Amino acid sequence: MSAAPAAVATHGEAEIKINRLWLFAAGAAVVVNGMFPALWVLLTSLKTEGELTRVPISYLPQDPTFQNYLTAFAAQPLARFFFNSVVVAGLSTVLTLLVSAFAAYAIARLRIRWKNVILSAIVAVSMFPLISLMVPLFQTMRALGLLNTYLALILPYVVLNLPVCILILVSFFSAIPRDLENAAMIDGCTRLGALFRVVLPLTAPGVFTAGIISFVNAWDEFLLALSFTSSMQMRTLPVGITLYQGEFAFPWPIISAALIVAIVPIAVVIVIFQERVVSGLTAGGVKG
Amino acid sequence: MSSKSPRRSIGDLSEGTLGLLMLLPAILLLCLIVVYPVGRLMYISLFDWRMSLPNAVPAFVGLEHYIYALTDDPKFWDAVYNTVLITIITVPGALVVGLGLALVANLPFKHRWPTRLALLLPWALPLVFAGLIFRWFFNYDYGLVNDILQRLGFGKVLWGTDPNLAFFTICLVIIWKSSSFMAMILLAGLQTIPRNLYEAAKVDGATSWQCFWKITLPMLIPSMVVALVFRTITAIQTFDIPYAMTGGGPGGTTETLAMYIHKTTIDFLDFGYGSALAMLMFLVSLGATTIYLRIIQGDKE
Amino acid sequence: MLRRTVTTGLAAAALAAPLVLGALPAAAQQTTLRVFIGGQQRPDVMRPLMDLFQQQNPGVRVEIEVGGATSEAQQQYLTTVLTSRDPAIDVMLIDVVRPAQFAAAGWAEPLDAYLGGTDRATVLRRYLPGYAEAVVVDNKLMSLPAFADAMFLYYRTDLLQKYGLQPPRTWEETVSHARRIMAGENNPNLQGLNFQGAPIEGTNCTFLIPFWQLGGNLVGANNRVTVNNDAGRGAFQFWLDAMRTHRVSPANSAEVRTDDTRLQFQNGNVAFAVLWAYGWNLFQSEQSQVRGKVGVVPLPTFQGRQSATCIGGWQWAVSAFSRNKPDAAKLVQFLASGVASKHLAINASNLPVLPDLYRDPDVLRTNPWFEAALPVVITARSRPVSPRYPEVSEIIRTNVNGVIAGTKTPQAALTEMESRLQRVLR
Repeated sequence: MSAAPAAVATHGEAEIKINRLWLFAAGAAVVVNGMFPALWVLLTSLKTEGELTRVPISYLPQDPTFQNYLTAFAAQPLARFFFNSVVVAGLSTVLTLLVSAFAAYAIARLRIRWKNVILSAIVAVSMFPLISLMVPLFQTMRALGLLNTYLALILPYVVLNLPVCILILVSFFSAIPRDLENAAMIDGCTRLGALFRVVLPLTAPGVFTAGIISFVNAWDEFLLALSFTSSMQMRTLPVGITLYQGEFAFPWPIISAALIVAIVPIAVVIVIFQERVVSGLTAGGVKG
Repeated sequence: MSSKSPRRSIGDLSEGTLGLLMLLPAILLLCLIVVYPVGRLMYISLFDWRMSLPNAVPAFVGLEHYIYALTDDPKFWDAVYNTVLITIITVPGALVVGLGLALVANLPFKHRWPTRLALLLPWALPLVFAGLIFRWFFNYDYGLVNDILQRLGFGKVLWGTDPNLAFFTICLVIIWKSSSFMAMILLAGLQTIPRNLYEAAKVDGATSWQCFWKITLPMLIPSMVVALVFRTITAIQTFDIPYAMTGGGPGGTTETLAMYIHKTTIDFLDFGYGSALAMLMFLVSLGATTIYLRIIQGDKE
Repeated sequence: MLRRTVTTGLAAAALAAPLVLGALPAAAQQTTLRVFIGGQQRPDVMRPLMDLFQQQNPGVRVEIEVGGATSEAQQQYLTTVLTSRDPAIDVMLIDVVRPAQFAAAGWAEPLDAYLGGTDRATVLRRYLPGYAEAVVVDNKLMSLPAFADAMFLYYRTDLLQKYGLQPPRTWEETVSHARRIMAGENNPNLQGLNFQGAPIEGTNCTFLIPFWQLGGNLVGANNRVTVNNDAGRGAFQFWLDAMRTHRVSPANSAEVRTDDTRLQFQNGNVAFAVLWAYGWNLFQSEQSQVRGKVGVVPLPTFQGRQSATCIGGWQWAVSAFSRNKPDAAKLVQFLASGVASKHLAINASNLPVLPDLYRDPDVLRTNPWFEAALPVVITARSRPVSPRYPEVSEIIRTNVNGVIAGTKTPQAALTEMESRLQRVLR
C-alpha cells in the first residue's frame, strides 16, 4: 500500500506505520458496517430454508446451493424485471440530471426574482407523503395515457428526485468561484457553454452524487411501480421480488437470491461512479 | 415572448429570461406531476369522505378534520410523538455516523472502492427489505444478535416485545440505513474542499484536530444542510422500517405518523381525514425545512 | 369528451415514442377480461382455469394481473385503481373480510342481475353455509366464494406416539400434553404450543377463538359491543397462562407472525401449532423436517365448551367499473363452480367451498386430511361483518398484541376495545 502523500510529508517512519494501522482499522470498520447485511443476504441465498431455523444458527451455508437462484429466475420473469428497472432507473437519472443541472444553475448563478420562493417550492414537493398522492397521481397518469408505460414511472421519478438533486447542485455550483466562469465567457463561451465546460466538470463529485441518488431512488421505488405498471411485462425489480412471497409463506432464501440480483448492479454502478468522482475531482483540481 | 425573436443566440438573452428558460423544464414537470395531486389533497382534506359509509358523498366539513386531529385524537398525538422522537434521535445520529463514514472513506486508501461501496450499500438496499433483514437479525430464536449474545454468555433478549427495545432497534436500523445517504453527500462535499487550504494550515503549524474544526467542518456546512434537510423530511415520513420490523407493535408503541396516515387512507378508506393528516405532516416538514433554509441564507450573508 | 380527445391524442403520441412498450389492446372484436389476484394465490394454478374458460367462450380473452404479494400491497393497489374508478380490472379476488367494505364503497358490482334467471338462494345453496352468508351484503350478492380457509391445530404424530398421547380435544389437554412433551424431550428449543400474537390480521383470531368458545359474542343484542366480560378476560388469561404459567408458548409470542409459526413447526421446533390450512402442504414437502409426522385436528376448546374457529378464505367479485360486466360475471360464476374449486383443491390445496368436494376421491388423494376439515369449515365463524371491518381489526389486533407483549393489562385492553369498537360498530 503506497503511503498517503498528504498525511506523510512531515511524519516519521514509526508514525507512518501507526497511521497505516489506524487507516486499515477505520477502513475495515466502515466495510464491515456497510457490508454485513448484504453479506448475510448473500449467505442466506445459498442456504436451504431448513437451515434458516436451525438452532444454534449456522453462519456459513452447510450445504451451499445455487438452487435458489435457479428458482428465482424460473418462478418469475426476473430478467425482464431487471431490464425494466435498468431502463426506468437509467433514463430517469439522465433526465433528472439534465433538468436539475439547468434549474440549479439558474438558481445558483443567475439574477432572477423569487429565487428563494422557487427553491422552497421545489423542495416542498418532497414533503408530501407519496401514499396520499397516489390516487390523484394515478388519475393524472391515466389522463396522459401513460399507465403501463415506462414514462409512467420515469416522469414521477424525475420529479421526486428533482428536489434533492437541485439542492445538491445548487450547493456545489455556489461554491465555484465566479472568476472561472467569467474567464471562460471572455474566451468566447456562452453561459451554457460555461455550464457544460467549466461548472459541471468542476462539480463532478456533486453531479455524480446526485446521479447515484436518483439512480438508487428510482431502482428501489416500490409504491408507484406497483400501481402504475401493473402488467407483468412492465414490473420492476422491487415489485417483482415481492411476488415470490406466498399467501403467508415468506421464502427467505429465494427472496435473498432475487435481492442479490437486484443489489449487484447497484454495487457496480456505485463502484464505477465513485471512481469517476475521484477522477473528476483530480481534473478539476488541476485546472483550479 | 422575447425568447422567440429570431437570430438571437441563447448567450444574448438577459439573465432573467435565460434563468426562466433554464428553470422551465423543472417547473413544467412539477406542474404536470405534482400540482394537481397536491391541490386535490388540500381540497379533499376539507371534506368528510369515507368510502366505508354506504353511498358516500363527500360532505364539506371545513377545518373539522384538522381540529379533531389537533384536539381530540390521541392516536394522532401518539403517532406524532413517536415520529418526532425518531426524528430527533436518528437525524443527529445519522449525521454523526455519516460524517465519520465520510471522513474514513475520504482517507487516502490505495483502493478506494471497498470503503465507497460499503459506504453506499446500506442506502442502496431497498427500504422494505432492509427492515425485513434486520427483523430477522433481531429475531428472538433465529436472529444473529441473540446468537452472538448467547455465544458471549449473555441471555437472549426480547427485542420486539419490550417497547423500549423495539423503539431502540428501529432507531438503530434507521441510523444505519440513513447514515449512508448522509455520508455520500458529505463525501462529495469533502472532495471539493481545496487541498491547498490544508497545506497552508499545516505550514502555519495547525494540528489535524484544528484543521478539522477550522477548515473541514465550516466548508462542509452547505453539504450538511442539504443532507439534513432531506434526512429530516424523510425521517418525518418514516414508514417502511417500523412497518417491516414491528408492524407498529408492541401494542402500537412504535407507530409513526406515516403509518397512521397509511392506515387511515388505505385500510380505513377515510380519505378526508387521511388527507388532513398528510397536510399536517407537510406543515411539520415545511417548518423544519424553513429553519434549515434560514441557516443556509444566514450563512451566506 | 374534450378530455377524451386529449387523452387519445397523448396516448397516440406516447405510443409513437420508443420509450413506450405498453401492451396494445387486443383486436377489436375480442373482449379482454383482466383478473386481479395476489401473487400468493398461485397465478400458475389459476391460469389453466382461465384457459378453460377461454375455450368455452370464444371471443373472450382472460389476462391475469398479479399484484403485490401481501394483502397490504394488494389493498393499496385496489384502492388506487378503484378510487380512480378505473376500468383496468374486471374481476378481482378479495379477502373474506372485505365484501362489506367493497359494497359500501360501491366498488363491487352486485351479481344478482347476472345469474341468468336462477334465483340467488338456489345458487348459494351449493356452498358451505358460512361462505354463502359472507357473500351477501344488504341483501345483494356482492361476490361468489373462491376457496375456504380456517385455523386448525397441527401436531406432531411422532411426539404424541412417543408419550402415548391422543390428539387433544380441549385446551387443557393441549397444555398438559405440551408440558409432558417438553419435560420429556428436555430440549430448550422445543416449543409446546405456538400461536400468533404480532399485530397482524390473524391475531384477531387468536383472541376471538377462545373468546367465542367461552361464550363471548362481540356484537350482542341491539348492536352493543360486549367484549369487556368474563369471556374476554378468559381468552386473554388462557394465552398469558400458556406463556407465563405453563411456559408452553414462547416468550416472544407478541412477535410471532403467521409464517413464523409455519417455519418453526416445519423445522421440528414445535409440538402443537395454531395455523391456517396452508401449512399442511409445506409440512409434507421435501424440505420439511416433519414430513410424515404431522397431524391436523379441529381446534381444541375449553372443557365443556363448544368448539369454534375463525373463518378465512377468498371470494371473486366483479368491479363496478368494468366495461365487460356480463362477461366478467360469467367468468366469476365459472371460477366459483365445482370444476374450479376442485382444480384449486387438487393443485393448490385450497379448501373447497363446496361440501361435496370434501368427499371427492381425487381431492382426498392429494389432501387426505380434508375429510376431517369439513366439520371445521362448516362450523367456522365469521369475524365481525362491517364495512368498517379494517378499523375493527386494527382495534382488536393492537390491543391483543399489547396484552401478549405485556405492555397492557387485559383489563385495560378490554376497556379500550369495548369503547373504541362501540364507536366504530355503532
